[in-house]
Amino acid sequence: MTNRLHPALIGFTILVYLFLMGPLVIVFGAALSDTTYLTFPPQGLTLHWFQNIFEISAFRRTIVTSLQIAFLATAIALVIGIPAAYALNRYRIQLPAWLSTLFVLPILVPEIVLGFSLLRSVAVDASVPIFLALLIGHTLLVLPYCVRVISASLASFDFSIEEAAVSLGSPPAKTFFTIVLPNVRSGVIAAFILAFITSINDVSVSLFLTGPGISTLPIQILAHVEQFFDPTIASVSVLLMLLTVAVMAIVERTLGLTFLAK
Amino acid sequence: MTYPLTVEHLTAHYGTSKVLDDLSLNVAAGELVSLLGASGCGKTTTLRLIAGFLEPTSGSITLGGRDLTKLPAHKRHIGLVFQNYALFPHLSVRDNVAFGLKQRGVAGEERNRRAGAMLERVGLAELADRLPGALSGGQKQRVALARALVIEPPLLMFDEPLSNLDAKLRIDMRVEIRQLQRANGTTSVYVTHDQEEAFSISDRVAIMNQGRIMQLDTPEALYQRPANAFVARFVGFENLIAMKVARREGENVTAEAAGGVTLTLSQARFGEIPDEFVLGTRADGLVVDADPQADGIPATLGLRTYLGRAYQYQCETPAGHLLANGALSAPLESGSTARLVPVPDQCCILRPE
Amino acid sequence: MQVRNALKRFAGWGLSTPATLAVVLFLIVPVAITIASTFAEDGGVLAPYVAFFSSGFRRAVLWRTLEISLATTAISVVVGFLTAYVVSRSPGRIKSLLIIAAVFPLLTGVVVRSFAWLIILGRNGILNNFLVWIGVTDQPFAMLYTQWSVVVAMVYLFVPLMVLTLVGVLENIPDDVVQASASLGASPFATFRQVIFPLAVPGLIVGAVLVFTGSFTSYATPQLLGGERQMVMGTLMYQRAMVAFDWVGASTIATIMVAVTVAVVLIMTRTARRLNPMAT
Repeated sequence: MTNRLHPALIGFTILVYLFLMGPLVIVFGAALSDTTYLTFPPQGLTLHWFQNIFEISAFRRTIVTSLQIAFLATAIALVIGIPAAYALNRYRIQLPAWLSTLFVLPILVPEIVLGFSLLRSVAVDASVPIFLALLIGHTLLVLPYCVRVISASLASFDFSIEEAAVSLGSPPAKTFFTIVLPNVRSGVIAAFILAFITSINDVSVSLFLTGPGISTLPIQILAHVEQFFDPTIASVSVLLMLLTVAVMAIVERTLGLTFLAK
Repeated sequence: MTYPLTVEHLTAHYGTSKVLDDLSLNVAAGELVSLLGASGCGKTTTLRLIAGFLEPTSGSITLGGRDLTKLPAHKRHIGLVFQNYALFPHLSVRDNVAFGLKQRGVAGEERNRRAGAMLERVGLAELADRLPGALSGGQKQRVALARALVIEPPLLMFDEPLSNLDAKLRIDMRVEIRQLQRANGTTSVYVTHDQEEAFSISDRVAIMNQGRIMQLDTPEALYQRPANAFVARFVGFENLIAMKVARREGENVTAEAAGGVTLTLSQARFGEIPDEFVLGTRADGLVVDADPQADGIPATLGLRTYLGRAYQYQCETPAGHLLANGALSAPLESGSTARLVPVPDQCCILRPE
Repeated sequence: MQVRNALKRFAGWGLSTPATLAVVLFLIVPVAITIASTFAEDGGVLAPYVAFFSSGFRRAVLWRTLEISLATTAISVVVGFLTAYVVSRSPGRIKSLLIIAAVFPLLTGVVVRSFAWLIILGRNGILNNFLVWIGVTDQPFAMLYTQWSVVVAMVYLFVPLMVLTLVGVLENIPDDVVQASASLGASPFATFRQVIFPLAVPGLIVGAVLVFTGSFTSYATPQLLGGERQMVMGTLMYQRAMVAFDWVGASTIATIMVAVTVAVVLIMTRTARRLNPMAT
């Protein structure tokens, strides 16, 4: 291309990326510091703070809770979201238009408002146990992502393939699993990953739906920072970043990283 | 304001693969030359190199004595018509057409007047205020044409401009394009994969393959006298029979093909015959003769199809599978044997590939 | 035919019912109750709102939240657009690298990313250490718990989102439209201004809506970097609900948040649709 980028623009972009990457590098360095306070660059190196995470029972508990909630919420959202996405695409003509609008609606509700409303109506008024309320909150948090991402991949699915399979004698329910699902595989994987990450990182919904003995990791981090300013939080952050790396590696393996660009 | 285009020894690479191989091309002032070939033959690459969207590895491009090779695209002053029209979706039809004038600093009123006049010429004056999204494919292509013409470029280039239109519109539009091009006398390069389109619209056609021009000639010459087997196959020569001269007796040459097939050909009628050659014909050029003594290729007839003006036979011969036509008056049955006799003025003696 | 249609409608309803019920029961109904509760107070239909807006402190919180969100949105849009432009025009390998580098922070949680700025902006943070070291100051600046520390962290939060949104938008602008512009004599800058930018405006608006609503309703970042001193709508709402147990007050803030979000989304998507010539 003769249409070259202006050097000033390239310089600006390099600065932006330093801005994006720098803080994460700093967190990484701070996690390894052998001082008892947070600092960067680290004075000496130690892995003590990683060990410390698991010595604090609150961290141990919340890591488990966060993983449980993320897996369960994502699983439930997929189990109810995939059929919904399928129905919205397959029976578009037969279903009223407001039904698909319904799944866009959650975007208009700030997460913090959802969390608070669930606390009020579900946890307090309906006396639903807090773990269950938290699970409901996270399911609702990730459901719209699942429906939207899977709908997007179903939108490019040619349903006449499904009809071809049925005409060849495959029963409809079986056809869904043998023909439709494999063709929207990448959409399902993407939805799973997006939902899982969203749930693991969530603050605004969990904020209101944690109670005595039940909390999630991000909420625990917030609570810990208020009291201590030691490198433990940096090392927890590093763990979460490693989780992100792992997720990106899975994406790379299954879908190719260019998929993320979409 | 009309100049010749000279392309010399142009070579281009995509990464490590060579997509254009020492290509030279002269387009006379006011002439329309088509680049014709299958996808991947290098025709679009050639156009993009001339337009300045790609950089050649070596070679030069000059337009009326001005060296374009190192010039950025926006300074080349070439009118381009794209396959997907490439209209600016956010600008009205008038502003689309006026865009190039605006870049040249033509003032607002003058700009609109000239854009309007150009739209008048392509018959879209009443759609000037519409957005491109509201136009049909044919209308879009007219706008694209007007947009390229209004800047009065010394060179006009078309990249498969009609391939997104339906069959009837394609024919109408190519006549229109040709008329506008003639009227303006603009030197033009036209890229297409459609043979009929290229032949009908062009002064000369370059048939391309693997980054090279196989033959550059008038449509008539290409159609009747292809220079090599590739071009012959491209213009519809179904039968290509590789032959070797066995004996020369004065004007008469006896040549052999695979399977012991021999033919006696008269140089007076077939033209000069080299020692190794390919005999090329269309199905019309091989006549099915039931007489077993006729000087032709012995064949077993297969499926017969009705063409209206003749019957066509799928023939199995020692020299391979051939297509031949036979008279309507004497249909032959599948399985019968016959001789396939070449018709001199419908045959070509080709250089082997 | 009619029977088959009825059957299909039945199947469609059947498959979508669980998800529909979940959204209605656990999202629409609870949020509706929260909103409705603010209009059912003793002192009159609008009493909680009168109370909210007559409090100077709460007005200041609302105002501060708007300031922070608008500043975050403006900076993110400019930075995000220029970066996305460079990313979208980069050669293949560099482009995917730049996209991955933008996805990574996006997938890393809000808490972690906000926390990073705690280390940078603290009194003993690296920025202050650096400034003391190069001799700009001998006293560390109080950078934390200021309005701009919240803005910086929020920009950090939202720039990757903006970049990725806009790279998608810019990649959707067909190459040949850009080439057509060049062939008509437009310089790269003229092409950028007259073709690329106008075509990206609808995407810019969508991105801006995401950033504005996200920052207007955020909690973790202002909590960590603004604290009590820079209270915003999110932190105030939490404080009303969980510290003061003032549920009406919290619900009022929630309703204002929903109203602002809905208004911004509706107005901006309308505008985006009107400006989007590709839609017709």
